[in-house]
Amino acid sequence: MKKTSFWVILIAAVALLAGVAAVWLQIRGAGATIANIYQDGVCIRSIDLSSLTETVTFTVEGPAGTNTIEAEHGRIRVSHAECPDQVCVEMGWRSDGASPIVCLPNKLVIRLENTAASATPEIDGVTG
Amino acid sequence: MKHSKPARVLAVLLACVLLCACEKQEASVEGVTSSVFAMDTIMDLTPYGAAAEEANTAAEARILELESLFSVTQEGSDVYRANHGDGVPVTVSEDTAALLETALRVCAQTDGALDISIYPVLRTWGFTTGSYQVPDEAEIQSLLERVNYRDIAFDADARTVSLPDGMEIDLGSVAKGYTGDQVMQVFRDTGVTSGMINLGGNVQVLGTKPDGSAWRVAVQDPRGDGYVGVIEAVDQAVITSGGYQRYFEQDGEIYWHILDPATGAPAHSGVISATAVGDSGTMCDALSTALFVMGADRAEDYWRTYGGFDYLLVTEDGKIILTEGLADRFEPLGTWESSSVTVVKK
Repeated sequence: MKKTSFWVILIAAVALLAGVAAVWLQIRGAGATIANIYQDGVCIRSIDLSSLTETVTFTVEGPAGTNTIEAEHGRIRVSHAECPDQVCVEMGWRSDGASPIVCLPNKLVIRLENTAASATPEIDGVTG
Repeated sequence: MKHSKPARVLAVLLACVLLCACEKQEASVEGVTSSVFAMDTIMDLTPYGAAAEEANTAAEARILELESLFSVTQEGSDVYRANHGDGVPVTVSEDTAALLETALRVCAQTDGALDISIYPVLRTWGFTTGSYQVPDEAEIQSLLERVNYRDIAFDADARTVSLPDGMEIDLGSVAKGYTGDQVMQVFRDTGVTSGMINLGGNVQVLGTKPDGSAWRVAVQDPRGDGYVGVIEAVDQAVITSGGYQRYFEQDGEIYWHILDPATGAPAHSGVISATAVGDSGTMCDALSTALFVMGADRAEDYWRTYGGFDYLLVTEDGKIILTEGLADRFEPLGTWESSSVTVVKK
């Protein structure tokens, strides 16, 4: 009997730990949308978009002038750019990782990393 | 040895937890993404498997090599030399010759809906520099006099090209497609059997995904954020042309970068997004532009005559038109689920 209760407690403890870990991973996985901002291939800033409660605005300086980046809960965009073509601004908001926001003149790339299965069906890439 | 009931229940529970954890481990073959700035865009390369790193290094070198041949602005490139050849035949590389041959074939087959000599008109609109302007009609007409792919003297065997005085070519509508084909070849040569590349919106996939299923390629919604739907692809290129990709607005009018070589103005065929799906990236790149310019009726005629690929068009009145090969592997998303879908059959 004593031996049995030892095993019961051990198994219960392991199961409990595993359960807690599984739930924690699920929660973390479900909510986390990380925006990584790269300049010329180097990651200069990472923002957890899922944890934002208000709009965060900042600028990044590049060879073709500044890009103003606006991040809020779950999404991010380039709201203003000093480059002539404005392609990055026209790209608008991004809320999933299927395609990055790119400013070619400044070699600025914003990639979103979704750690969870979101509401949209699985997408490997985007053409357009 | 006899266990108490709770112990057995817990053991089963534990086994379940462990099994669930294992389930998440499937498709353990990792992809390695590398990004390259080339051809005025960003290129993402994602080969899978053990040779992925090696494949990326080789592919990057190949991309930069091709860029140095196809660039319009880089002095010494094949295209630059052809544009500044003063009527004297210029010898070009095998790559440029192969690309020119395919491009000129599509120019002819589409009756000029694709014309690689439109470059001077594109430049005067500012689409090559970002200094946008609406040129006056007289200027467009005078530039159009030098736009005609039929006047390009190209000898495929001798690999020479010569242009009439004042004509300039640009392979921008086909160069990324050709580059995609070449990257696929590099992947295969290094032993990669599964991978996806995205060359500034041109998607091309090698094989299936590592788990054996088809790649799911979404088509950008031409009207805003989100997607029209998803196309399943294996060993194919999926390439879209849309007016939304580069445009400017003046006096309430929108001007986009895909010009109709017949008018020298942005093409208004009723199609706002054209996707070509096929084995050849070069063909799909050329065709996506041509289909956008041709519009739904001419696209259908072209496809019936030449075939060899599938297409998906989105019209300005919100309809989806696709060829029969895509009928079972296209899935509309979001608001597009309620759109009218027309399937074009042979």
